Amino acid sequence: MSTARPAHPQVMQPSRPGPTRTAPPMRPARMPLRGPYLTHSLFGATGLIYLLLGLLALEIVWALGSGEEAWNRVRENFQHPLYIGFHTLAFASILFVGVRFFRLFPPAQPPRIGPAKPPPPGVLMAMLYAAWIGVAGVLALILAGRIF
Amino acid sequence: MKHLLLRIEPVVWFLFGQGIMIGTMLLTGWVLVLGLAIPLGLVSPDALAYERAYGLGSHPIGRLLLAALIALPLWKGAHHLRHLSIDFGGLSRDVVVAPILYGIATLGSLAAIVAVIRL
Repeated sequence: MSTARPAHPQVMQPSRPGPTRTAPPMRPARMPLRGPYLTHSLFGATGLIYLLLGLLALEIVWALGSGEEAWNRVRENFQHPLYIGFHTLAFASILFVGVRFFRLFPPAQPPRIGPAKPPPPGVLMAMLYAAWIGVAGVLALILAGRIF
Repeated sequence: MKHLLLRIEPVVWFLFGQGIMIGTMLLTGWVLVLGLAIPLGLVSPDALAYERAYGLGSHPIGRLLLAALIALPLWKGAHHLRHLSIDFGGLSRDVVVAPILYGIATLGSLAAIVAVIRL
């Protein structure tokens, strides 16, 4: 004797729709400069450093295209303590952005990528840091005249 | 304006992501040598004498890297500053802040293309 019966999922439906439990978005009390939000805000503030670095890079490349005199003038400007101070801050910001950004990769991986599983978090981080150190190192060696 | 900002969001996010990823990788070596090591005398200034710098920059790969080095950090900066502005001041002023920041990034990117073409 079969015990199977036709399914009638509509019998589970409430007679009238229930109230939604979605709350309006609220700004956390410690946002934006206290507790864990400070790091988040600092990460956002590196945007200003990157914007300035992009504009400075534009100035340098433009000077390179304008001739030797303009190129040497820009390089002389870079020896000013203000520029050195800015570049020190910029270098710290770049390291902060890289470390924070790469930390997001392991938890952002899907359970499977097609037929394969993503690499373990440690391996993934090692690959990212190897790429970062590799690209930065090769570029630094080229710019410093050690290769090419 | 809100509609336009929503429509370009995927492109901006792509450029922002590349700005963090590729921008950070390139800027590390760039700032270390050009911004710190040479001005502090740790690397000889002759390493980037005009002829050598021009030779590196005017190579096709050099042009591509320089264009990326200018444009991608601009997009990372613009998008991050936009969201910092939302965090601090809410969404009400976003229709003014976002176009200004993305405008700077767009103009800077176009200028980057011109700058590497003139090399």
